[in-house]
Amino acid sequence: MSEAQQPPDTPPTPPQGSDAGPRIGSDEWVARREDRVARSHGLTGQVERLVARVPQWALFIVFVVVVALIPVMTSDQYVLRVATDTMLWILLATGLNVAVGWAGLLDLGYIAFYGFAAYLFAELSSPHYGIHWPTWASVPTVIGATIILGFLLALPTRRLSGDYLAIVTLFFGQMFVTFTTQGRNWNWLGFGSSHDITGGPNGLTSVDPFRIFGHQLTQVQDYLWVALGGFVIVALVLTFANHSRTGRAWRSLRDDTLAAEVMSMPVNRLMLLAVAVGAGVAGLAGAINGAYYQGVFPTSFGFQTLITVYAMVILGGAGSLPGVVAGAVLINVLLEVLRSPDHSRWVFYFVLISFLVAKVRPWRALAAVVAGVAAFGLVVHAIVGAVWPRGTEGAISSGVFGFTTHGWLAVILRHWLVLPRNTYDVANYTIGNYALVTLIALVLALTVAQGVRRYVLLVPTIWLAAFVWETRLIEESSTTRPLLLGVILIVLMAVRPQGLFGTPRVEVV
Amino acid sequence: MADPILELRGVGKSFGGLRVIDQLDLDVLPHEIVSVIGPNGAGKTTLFNLISGLYGPDTGTIRFEQESIVGLAPHQITNRGIARTFQTLRLFLNMSVKENVIAATYGHTKATILESMLRLPRSRREERESAQFAEERLAFFGQRLMGYRWNQPAYSLSYANRRRLEIARATATRPKLLMLDEPAAGMNPVETHEITELIGQLRDEGGYTILVIEHDMHVVEGISDRVVALDHGVKVAEGTFEAVATDPRVVEAYLGTGTAERK
Amino acid sequence: MHGVLGFQLYDWSYFFAQLVAGLTIGSLYALLALGYTMVYGILKLLNFAHGDVYMLGAYMGYFVLTALGGAAKPSVAVAVLFALMFLAAMAGCSVIGVLIERFAYRPLRRAPRIAPLISALGVSFFLQQTAVLLFGAIPKEYNTYSLRNGELFNSFSIGNLRVQYAQLFVFVAAIVLMAALTILVRRTRVGKAMRATSFDLEAASMMGINVDRVIAFTFLVGSALAGAGGVMTGIVFQNIQPYMGFGAGLKAFTAAVVGGIGNIGGAMLGGLIIGVAEQLTTGYLSSAFQDLIVLSVLIVFMLFRPTGILGSAAVQKV
Repeated sequence: MSEAQQPPDTPPTPPQGSDAGPRIGSDEWVARREDRVARSHGLTGQVERLVARVPQWALFIVFVVVVALIPVMTSDQYVLRVATDTMLWILLATGLNVAVGWAGLLDLGYIAFYGFAAYLFAELSSPHYGIHWPTWASVPTVIGATIILGFLLALPTRRLSGDYLAIVTLFFGQMFVTFTTQGRNWNWLGFGSSHDITGGPNGLTSVDPFRIFGHQLTQVQDYLWVALGGFVIVALVLTFANHSRTGRAWRSLRDDTLAAEVMSMPVNRLMLLAVAVGAGVAGLAGAINGAYYQGVFPTSFGFQTLITVYAMVILGGAGSLPGVVAGAVLINVLLEVLRSPDHSRWVFYFVLISFLVAKVRPWRALAAVVAGVAAFGLVVHAIVGAVWPRGTEGAISSGVFGFTTHGWLAVILRHWLVLPRNTYDVANYTIGNYALVTLIALVLALTVAQGVRRYVLLVPTIWLAAFVWETRLIEESSTTRPLLLGVILIVLMAVRPQGLFGTPRVEVV
Repeated sequence: MADPILELRGVGKSFGGLRVIDQLDLDVLPHEIVSVIGPNGAGKTTLFNLISGLYGPDTGTIRFEQESIVGLAPHQITNRGIARTFQTLRLFLNMSVKENVIAATYGHTKATILESMLRLPRSRREERESAQFAEERLAFFGQRLMGYRWNQPAYSLSYANRRRLEIARATATRPKLLMLDEPAAGMNPVETHEITELIGQLRDEGGYTILVIEHDMHVVEGISDRVVALDHGVKVAEGTFEAVATDPRVVEAYLGTGTAERK
Repeated sequence: MHGVLGFQLYDWSYFFAQLVAGLTIGSLYALLALGYTMVYGILKLLNFAHGDVYMLGAYMGYFVLTALGGAAKPSVAVAVLFALMFLAAMAGCSVIGVLIERFAYRPLRRAPRIAPLISALGVSFFLQQTAVLLFGAIPKEYNTYSLRNGELFNSFSIGNLRVQYAQLFVFVAAIVLMAALTILVRRTRVGKAMRATSFDLEAASMMGINVDRVIAFTFLVGSALAGAGGVMTGIVFQNIQPYMGFGAGLKAFTAAVVGGIGNIGGAMLGGLIIGVAEQLTTGYLSSAFQDLIVLSVLIVFMLFRPTGILGSAAVQKV
């Protein structure tokens, strides 16, 4: 047997790890994962293998065609709006993927680029300054200006570690929000009178829509197609870049910056390039944003938007273009669904049950836990009902301050949970608050519990989670949604840092 | 007598209060194989780091092909023709074997990102050529890094193959001076023998000048035209292997005082 | 509030007022910066969530204050009241800090460098939103003006300076806490372990130091200081709201960099510098330029003196 036909080398033994198996990032862990996927007969394994076999360009074409046909298949304004929003997010996520996914840089000022572009477009095409540039001039200008901004921001940090880039960009993002919010009375160091540069907290409105070939784009689906078109171009161009020496250099510097530098790659210049390219994509997205919403506002470009786009990229899989697209779709759809209690309720219970089914093995344990949870709920309900009648007279929420008692789910929940009447009185907030804190503590305890104690702890945790959900979280969706994003990021990093479609990485420790 | 390809004069470096390299003079002639030996902490890797530009010397000059390279960024020094490997391997573990080598051709390709984005002819041509070149570099090691191995991630390689890959990657930068930091570390006798032959081949077939840090005296004996011994950052001996190996100061550096007297 | 460059330049009492205010807020930044600098020194991690721990500390102090009758009619003596507020905040925040480390950062010790940073972002956001859920987004007021008829905000003179008791209190309290920390780090075994671990984590673990415990302890101490800072902010500045930690955290990190990352005295120095710089900007230019000035200071230091004023050059072993 000649050398070329020898079986693959076995990976070298990892440094002595501990109890819970090889640690994230070491050779052994990654090698084992590939084995697991190859051998896995479960659903996830099969799906992964299936997805891996379909060539990416085919997926891309299918995706583009499907999205392009959405306005043809439906004229429901709500669906169209959600689709267009999602497409814009997809574009954003694709741009962020360059710096975070390919070059491994933490660019936390990305949303400031997005906002800068949107505002610049607004200033060039609105009554604010009275100028109305034509689209073919304003969009490239905005993109160019944003790229320059990206360069300028990354320039001072190029010689330092990625951590410092993170802080400077984060700071910049914060400053951008301050600037846009206070830009109504902007005073250049006391000289001259105050200017209204950014319209302050109310933003700039009456921004011109795009005009393409003399045609004014005023319909929602127009912007869906524009964003889709932008995405197609960006995706192609970026994929080509990724398969070239630049992409390779980005991947090298992500793996080992020092070694990349010594192997002839100008690391600082490459880092600048990654941030600038990302900024360019954000620039395009910003221009589209300004035209589509016909207005720009400071609150759209703050920390929450940053966390959202990061959650999309990380969930989908940083470094994988199809991954971030999937991540963007998933997160945005999730956020949409969570807006209305009736819909989000289904998602919540679905996730809860899937989690149980997936994680609690064998079947007997699962049955025990389910039975335990049901019993627990009924018992608590009975006790509370006897002691505090108002505590169980409430109903489940169905929208802004509406409650419903109809439907089989409502009936189950009313008897299984403790739903105090008037949950949204101030006095009743406190029950929910204590419950929330207790829930957090229980979840943390669950992650360290072992064996039987884990199942025992699971029962009250699940019940409490449903309780908190129904009485606090479900209605305050404007807080619940961001809260969930934070949780997603934390959990992803601990459990599956490569996201859904990324490849697990080995780290030089 | 040819001009030295690498010339160090009076080079000194301190970290904090510790003087790691002190008044070092060193000449390396073209196509020579020079080994640098010395006990741990003698400053050998620091020497490599100084030459490859990871930090700058406090005093002295470093000239490559008669031009000073002090103050240049590491990638610029590499582009001038100096490549190195690392004592603790520093491969791009998540990239494939072939990609590791192609990555190092960056300095010799010119396609800008714009050209790559638009798939202009130059960028496509350079891609093909770099891939070809990488295959040639890998072929140097026989069949070990060929065929199906090209697309395997670097983290799946055995230790010895990783060392080989790192050398292949370094040669992909088209260096004139190749610096190998403990190439035989952790290898068994068979592999060590191979490496010894390999280094000779690198010089003969590749025309490289080679500077090697090594602890294994069999290797040093087998490859060196000249040996330089360092101790506590100071050059204590220089010459042929026989001369240096028996030099009392070298023996003292490795084994301590008292032994030298007995010789 | 605009500053017009003009006759104010010649008004020394105005300058000193800004200076004193700057030192006050600088002391708060210093306390926050300590937590950042200690954690970065050991783990090379930017703990973005640190500022939000500070915010939670402010709320904890608030709840103790309200539980004891509020500032207008406290049921215990002022000294006892403050002591309890500080204790509660420091204890509560240390617990939270340790929990954050244990659950969000420890699993990621061997993960790629950006993983704990992203987790930190997630934790920061999570804490902010949880605070909104629990406390509401509307700011709460400590209302310490009503404490003993506003005695706290009377001022006295030291030469040309007019100082409010509240400002003096913050400054002195910060110094006391920092002195305590310095003693802890220099004179105790734990402190020695902390210093060793920040030097070289692997070597320290091989020398028999329980690195996990040292790291947890570092978070404990840093978070306790942040909690104290939160209460002080409430006492002096009245207003607390869920998003207050974010901006303060950024400035505190700048202070840590300016003073020298990993250096305790540097954190104090950096905090004071940043506080004064910020206050002078507000006083003479405009509060809108605060962030810009602080960011510029950060960038200047990162470019020209990344080790900070008191930091020592770290060598990367290749």
